[in-house]
Amino acid sequence: MPIAGAEFRSALPVGQQSPQLVRSFLLQQHAVTNAEFLAFVRANPQWRRGAVPVVLAGGDYLAHWAGPLDPGPPGVDLQPVTRVSWFAAEAYCEAQAARLPYWLEWEFVAAAGVRERDARSDPAWRQQILDWYAHPASAPLLPVEQRVANVYGVYDLHGLVWEWVQDFNSLLPSDADPEKFCGGAAQNLQQKENYAILMRIALLGSLQATDTGRAVGFRCARDGENAP
Amino acid sequence: MSGLGVVVACVTCALLAASSCVASDLPNDSLYQLRVQLVSQTGSKVGLNLDQGYPTLLSMFYGSCTAACPMLITSIQVYESHLDPASQARLRVLLVSFDPSADTPEQLAKLAQLHRADPVRWTFASASETDARKIAALLGFSYRRLPDGTFDHSLLIKLLDREGRVVGATTTLVGDTEFQAKLQKATSANAP
Repeated sequence: MPIAGAEFRSALPVGQQSPQLVRSFLLQQHAVTNAEFLAFVRANPQWRRGAVPVVLAGGDYLAHWAGPLDPGPPGVDLQPVTRVSWFAAEAYCEAQAARLPYWLEWEFVAAAGVRERDARSDPAWRQQILDWYAHPASAPLLPVEQRVANVYGVYDLHGLVWEWVQDFNSLLPSDADPEKFCGGAAQNLQQKENYAILMRIALLGSLQATDTGRAVGFRCARDGENAP
Repeated sequence: MSGLGVVVACVTCALLAASSCVASDLPNDSLYQLRVQLVSQTGSKVGLNLDQGYPTLLSMFYGSCTAACPMLITSIQVYESHLDPASQARLRVLLVSFDPSADTPEQLAKLAQLHRADPVRWTFASASETDARKIAALLGFSYRRLPDGTFDHSLLIKLLDREGRVVGATTTLVGDTEFQAKLQKATSANAP
């Protein structure tokens, strides 16, 4: 979906000092699904389970699939793909002539509600995120696009899976302890709605690029204003 | 049989795009499995596996940095100065910039000259933003551009064996004796 750029005040400590300009870009409407990722590994054998070097994806890469070319029963096709490393996610996006979104782009679109571009001061927006965090991680994943899209027409930025971003390893000050960062930064916050977003930053900051988390998926982005 | 294998591998490499054959015959846990393109201080396009076959120190930096990066270069020179001449001659150093717009080959060449880095063994290179991000992810190195245009980044030196496997690392610029010992071992004549 096309996302019109604007000034944006990020929850990142570096972003709080002054608003940053988010350039117009395109963001995938839904998180990449198992069916979409299957088409990618069919076309790119080097990204099939069992073929990927351990330096690019951990041992649990696509471990929940029934086979290297079989995500499982038909019901899983429209579920977001998870257990993919950052390298695999980036490779998927590159194969679509796209890239992973930057954190600032992701946060910008994720700040939207159903009706407004910046819903962060709305307690209901915040509560929805916190409710998801409290949701048991073992529950089965829903298919994508089951909830209401935000004002841009983008689905599931909150409430379905965590999502890789291009600069996941650069959100925290180098060598910072994510927990300390999260706690400390949250204490200094004047706007406590940022707490819900800081949780996500702390999680992303704690990941290694080869990690293949059960609840970590991704979507792609592309520079520009119009769909090709 | 093994001779034939080499011939076949070479033919395959010649037929495929260079990037497609980087990974052949590499150990599964070799960092050289990552396919990226670097531009060196001489302007040549090289892969991360440029120094394959030699023990290598690998780190990231940006050239316009005034404090930590000159220290990083000096630090590596101090670590290698403790090696005997034969071991030192075997060692390679690859420093990858994450600031490609500023670190052109000309700038990198100046930097190499400024630090009197041995051009045979030392390579200063830059990578596209995407490739730099991948290399950083591979190393567990973090960096971010600050609003004033400078970078906040890790200090991290990785030691790779001849096949690109990580056999040591340090975040200490001077006097990491454990790292020094690993460096000695990796550069010895009979190291793997």
